[in-house]
Amino acid sequence: MLKLFVNNLKMLIRNKQSLFWSLMFPLIFTFIFGTFFGKGSSMTGNVILINKSKSPLAKSIEQTLDKTDLFKLSKSTNLSASRNLIKKNKAMAVILIPEGFGDTQPNAPTKIKLISDPSNAQGTSLVAGLLDKVLTFSSFQAQGAKPLFSIEQETTSATKSNYFDFVLVGLLGMALMNSSIQGIAIVMAKYKEDQILKRLTTTPLKTWKFIVAEVLSRLLLNFVQVSLILSIGVYVFGAHIYGNIPLVYLFALIGAILFQLIGFTIASLTKTTQAAEGMATAIAIPMMFLAGVFFPIDQLPKWLFSAVQYLPLAPLLRMIRGIALEKISPLENPMNIIIVIAWIIIALIISTYKFRLSEE
Amino acid sequence: MTHMVSLMKKVISIEKLVKKYGKLAAVDGISFDVYQGEIFGLLGENGAGKTTTLEIIEGLRKPTSGKISILGHDIRHGIKDIKEQIGVQLQSSAYYNFLTLREILELFASFYSTQMDPLKLLQMVHLEEKSNSYVNSLSGGQKQRFSIVASLVNDPQIVFLDEPTTGLDPLARRNLWQVISDIKAKGKTIILTTHYMEEAEALCDRVAIMEKGKILTIGETHKLVGATHNPYRINFITKKINTNLFNEISKFGEIKNLIGKANNFELRLKTQKELNQVLPLIQQLDPEGLIVGRSTLEDLFIQLTGKTIGE
Repeated sequence: MLKLFVNNLKMLIRNKQSLFWSLMFPLIFTFIFGTFFGKGSSMTGNVILINKSKSPLAKSIEQTLDKTDLFKLSKSTNLSASRNLIKKNKAMAVILIPEGFGDTQPNAPTKIKLISDPSNAQGTSLVAGLLDKVLTFSSFQAQGAKPLFSIEQETTSATKSNYFDFVLVGLLGMALMNSSIQGIAIVMAKYKEDQILKRLTTTPLKTWKFIVAEVLSRLLLNFVQVSLILSIGVYVFGAHIYGNIPLVYLFALIGAILFQLIGFTIASLTKTTQAAEGMATAIAIPMMFLAGVFFPIDQLPKWLFSAVQYLPLAPLLRMIRGIALEKISPLENPMNIIIVIAWIIIALIISTYKFRLSEE
Repeated sequence: MTHMVSLMKKVISIEKLVKKYGKLAAVDGISFDVYQGEIFGLLGENGAGKTTTLEIIEGLRKPTSGKISILGHDIRHGIKDIKEQIGVQLQSSAYYNFLTLREILELFASFYSTQMDPLKLLQMVHLEEKSNSYVNSLSGGQKQRFSIVASLVNDPQIVFLDEPTTGLDPLARRNLWQVISDIKAKGKTIILTTHYMEEAEALCDRVAIMEKGKILTIGETHKLVGATHNPYRINFITKKINTNLFNEISKFGEIKNLIGKANNFELRLKTQKELNQVLPLIQQLDPEGLIVGRSTLEDLFIQLTGKTIGE
């Protein structure tokens, strides 16, 4: 069985095409999301300030805007040139402080103008929110008053995570799912089509040994996958993993076993490699989008959410995110682990009942 | 080659084997024995039940009924022991894509308690230079040779070859015949299926001809051929269609105008005496390409099944 395990590994490594899909594909995603949302990426927005006022208030607003790390502030005097920069997507907003703003004269202007790109709603609301805050504070100061009410912020978890942390765990799940479901389904269907499985049954090799060697060699590949994705996410793009790393690995590999079983199920239900490939894709692609890889699924319409929350990948991602990002024990919400075990049992029953090395 | 006949030790014994798929009996109550050291051929058209029979003996399919004993083990209880001592080459089986020939042989050998040296096996079929290549870099003949040698990794007593030469060119086929007789020379028993009659005639000590799941005839190849209705055969081509002479010749047997080549005739005869009498008559026709020969296994096959085999 060791020999079979070692040879399986050799085949996994030598099959460059499938190795690309299982290792490089998720890493490319990690790089893309890391570049957009990882460390340092929040500074990418450009805001242009045109300050025509010389008042101390205008000066202090300018200093506040300069200090924020929500966007990069540059200064200009030319309004039409700045408008053009927005159109060319080189700036997300222009802030215009009119002449005389903040002066003590009675008819001095009291409004700051915000010109923004309608397609960048997120950027606009970010700048407007900050500006509003600064102005409210200044208004209070001008009236010699102090704000009575304020927000005390608290999140449900003790840790601070951002979107990249969220999506990194999602990509981890996606990588495990794709390489395991597709990998097993296609390879087993190919073995069946090429009569390699039948040839194996003419030898004294036991079926369980064949399957264990296959599963173990793939788990080793999954281990490498998880390590690569996590280390690139953390060390290159500054993702935060707060929880217990071995526990993250454990649940990632439980997930991999579940997906491999789904792969065996597909292989046992299809007759050709092409059919297996099609069925594997039909199962993996919807899960990629509906099981919470890229966005939290509780934002989906309720009727959809109530169905997709049971997809095999969904509870796994909930648990791994809980462990990695919020230090929540996977046992805290036992429903997740129950769903995963239920899927494992379903796939195990179908594949033990249906998966045969030979036709009889 | 004759020593094995004198030993006559049964290595396979099959009694009233039946395999049904629904109502269709793919194998319909056949019985036969295979003796140690012989090459035994199962002949028949596609769908005659050859492969099904073979795969039941190999333990790949379960018989509906019947008794099978291999090397003294009943197939129902002793399949593990049987698998240790047999080697199987499947019809059109491929091997792993990303392992070298040597690695595949080592891997398959690791499933058995007795293991042969992979390099020696590759040498046997002149593939030693390919030991570090992948299977898909081999030609059709090389693949078949590899597939046969892969069935020898456990130094088996019995080797099963399912249509080992189908799809090969004549040269590659002769080449494979040599490999098969080399295996026989090592004292192994070989069971093969084929639908090439000349192949069976050249290789098999004994054959069984199957049709629709039944055995039509079984016996030593040369004796079966010798027992055909008209064991002597004359073929000739003539442009001189002399009706009188033709009528004269027809008294010895039916002259068939064979399909294909123009004016291509065949005459089949029962005895050598008839042969001697008819030959001078044929000479008068100025025959070209005159062939005087004996029946072949193919003639027997046609006589039994009433048709020529596909391919």
